[in-house]
Amino acid sequence: MSEDGTDSGRRRFLLGSTSVVGAAGVVGAIVPFVGSWNPSAKARAAGAPVRVDISRIEEGAIIGPIPAWRGRPIFVVRRTQEALAALDTLGEDVLQDPGSEQPEQPEYAQNEYRSREPEILVLIGLCPHLFCSPTPRLAIRPEPFEANWKGGFYCPCHGSKFDMAGRVYNGSPASRNMEVPPYYYETDNVLVIGEDGVNA
Amino acid sequence: MSDTKKQGFVVSALAGLRDWTNDRLPIVNAWEKHMSKYYAPKNFNFWYFFGVLSLIVLVIQLVSGIFLTMHYTNSAEAAFASVEYIMRDVEFGWLLRYIHSTGASAFFVVVYLHMFRGLMYGSYKKPRELIWVFGMAIYLVLMMEGFMGYVLPWGQMSYWGANVIVSLVGAIPVIGEDLLIWVRGDFLISGATLNRFFALHVVALPIILIGLVVLHLLALHEVGSNNPDGIDIKKNKGPDGIPVDGVPFHPFYTVHDLVGITVFLFVFCFVIFFAPEMGGYFLEPPNFQEANPLVTPAHVPPVWYFTPFYSMLRAVTVPLFGIDAKFWGMIVMFGAIAILFVLPWLDRSKVRSIRYKGWYSRIALLIFTASFLILGYLGTLGTSAPRIALAQFCTLLYFLFFFLMPWYTKKEETFAEPQRVTGRWITNKQLAITLALLAALVFLPLKAVGAEVTVELEPVEMDLRDEASLQRGFTSYMSYCHSCHSLQYARYQRTADDLGIPTDLVMENLVFGDASIGDLMQNNMDADDSNNWFGKTPPDLTLAGRLHSPAWLSGYLNSFYTDTSRVWGVNNTVFPNVGMPNVLYELQGDVVCTNNAEAPEDCELSHVAGTGELTPEEFDAFVYDMVNFLYYIGEPVRLKRQEIGVYVLGFLAILFVLVTLLNREYWRRIH
Repeated sequence: MSEDGTDSGRRRFLLGSTSVVGAAGVVGAIVPFVGSWNPSAKARAAGAPVRVDISRIEEGAIIGPIPAWRGRPIFVVRRTQEALAALDTLGEDVLQDPGSEQPEQPEYAQNEYRSREPEILVLIGLCPHLFCSPTPRLAIRPEPFEANWKGGFYCPCHGSKFDMAGRVYNGSPASRNMEVPPYYYETDNVLVIGEDGVNA
Repeated sequence: MSDTKKQGFVVSALAGLRDWTNDRLPIVNAWEKHMSKYYAPKNFNFWYFFGVLSLIVLVIQLVSGIFLTMHYTNSAEAAFASVEYIMRDVEFGWLLRYIHSTGASAFFVVVYLHMFRGLMYGSYKKPRELIWVFGMAIYLVLMMEGFMGYVLPWGQMSYWGANVIVSLVGAIPVIGEDLLIWVRGDFLISGATLNRFFALHVVALPIILIGLVVLHLLALHEVGSNNPDGIDIKKNKGPDGIPVDGVPFHPFYTVHDLVGITVFLFVFCFVIFFAPEMGGYFLEPPNFQEANPLVTPAHVPPVWYFTPFYSMLRAVTVPLFGIDAKFWGMIVMFGAIAILFVLPWLDRSKVRSIRYKGWYSRIALLIFTASFLILGYLGTLGTSAPRIALAQFCTLLYFLFFFLMPWYTKKEETFAEPQRVTGRWITNKQLAITLALLAALVFLPLKAVGAEVTVELEPVEMDLRDEASLQRGFTSYMSYCHSCHSLQYARYQRTADDLGIPTDLVMENLVFGDASIGDLMQNNMDADDSNNWFGKTPPDLTLAGRLHSPAWLSGYLNSFYTDTSRVWGVNNTVFPNVGMPNVLYELQGDVVCTNNAEAPEDCELSHVAGTGELTPEEFDAFVYDMVNFLYYIGEPVRLKRQEIGVYVLGFLAILFVLVTLLNREYWRRIH
């Protein structure tokens, strides 16, 4: 007890405990407001995995950019044997990450073709630099931006170059390979993009 | 040792920041002026909580409103669906919406009680006239805010309520018609009206409201708070220049108000989590139906906080000086609010508080309060001749309270005011007598003019925990209803998850066409075709369980009977002359009207034994499951809402104990 008769110990305890419980209440009250910023059921439904029929893609052709999984442009390319062979010729002297060491793809796509099946390439069609969508330049022929072009993707915004597996060239503003989304084969001709599938 | 050093550093850093700021902005001065050296009378009672509570509700409305704006779509085409999107698809969206809808009503509850406090204790009298005028301006803006906010969900009540109130503008002689078109921005209430109301509701009016609240508080802190005795505490100062009957607002009233705030939050959260519709007073059932400019709901009562004035509007039934009754009704309604502004100059009493005013004032206040409550209740009902007569009489009493005030406050004998503030003044017995008198004054006249006639339906208990029943209901809905109706605000995925049905089972058996599991449960029937076939497009059923009670739904599904005069060969006693065929006929069998009644609703129904695939008991169970499902889909979050509510109320109960002890600790030495 102090002189004016107030019990400062009890007062401090009550002030402290009320503040702690009150602060917990404020945190609890904030939860729904923060939660309301998460993707809604509508956004999640729109971002759900999508099915793509690949039977009609001719050799050396691309479908995409299709506004697919999570609204991002998706490239699906059926690569020619020639293009696949050309991938082998590109090494560290040309590419920044030829071995796909950085985690820009699911585990099952961490191979020389960056895909589940060698022919079919699935990429998120966004440049990892500043997220423009690179233009497909699939043919093996000299291009204004690269005399020794083996086919791939060229970003019109800042000139980043990627090969037919989405691997980034040296000297590009981008420093990582294009991202491979999770996907699996539902049947031989139907891809599900956005999910790893049960056998992942 | 290191702990105290550390604390010392933090404290001195904060003090440094405070001093640095204070040299540039007078924060210390402001804190002292408005909190730590603002001396408030020490005899504040229960009624003095409602000022701070108004402020709390204002903050709640601003915050929840801002977050709702992030998900709401302000167009006539999408507004209604976007509210259901908030209720179903946005994480915790239902909570934001219920906070805001309950907050609107809570705002008026606390503001009405706050105003009544002012009326009782003469808080509007000199030198507090401006506080009262600013307060009345707040009330007026709040009514506009509430009205426009109610239009935004774009349900049937939103639409027709807006239609009724906005068309009052048209009653103004000469310019009315043109003005009405200008206000609506169209020849009827439409998307144009909705958009301007949205802008006013979320931007313009809140800014004005906040400005007025600041003025209200600045004016209050300039002259100081009144108190239940209505005497001036500044006349009696101690040697230190501080009123002897005053205590610094902080900490005494901050800890005191915490108790009131916690109790308020308890009640507020109870409504949000356990009764968000508040029996149809906070959220009116017809508003769970999208706005339809062609069909007026059977009865269009405004939300409860407007009903006293709505009653007055309806009470004026005679034209005068060659001008429509409608115009005079509007004058009376707005006059009832306008007259409150001049109240400070109508009261000629020597004393402020009702405690020391004479019997004339006391009786006048009692009658005024009863009239206001009666008008409020009548406004929620339909009209009849005796009800209108009562409303007219109460309107007269409402105005007489003000018109006669200069006379009776001057004429009556007042009681002697005390020198120092006093504590509780009214005894429990006196309080009980006053309340009983008020109750009698309100209920007896209402009883005399007749209670509402309602059709009795057997109440039906639903069980949302019965997953098997909900699953059966979902399946039957899909088989029997979904070919014509839709559930266009609900998604397959959510329904499957809530009902415990594996996604692939739903996809295989219940999802038709190329819809995917995340989609809304829309229906592919062409609206024009169905309109031709049934005379009316079959309504969406997502909200059928909120628009109608479970009792109504099961009554309806059970009450089809053979009537060869109708297109589909059937009629319905609960929904006479309904356009829908009896889709459950094969299950139920023949039902006939045994008394050959003229009107369908008077029929006595009898099932023809031996007809139908199901026995009557099996059929009842079938209907129960379907209604249970419709009840669920009307508000899928119902169970979760109540579960969270239990924790919230438990938390507030703990907080209440703490703040009560804290309050007692601070007030121990104040007598």
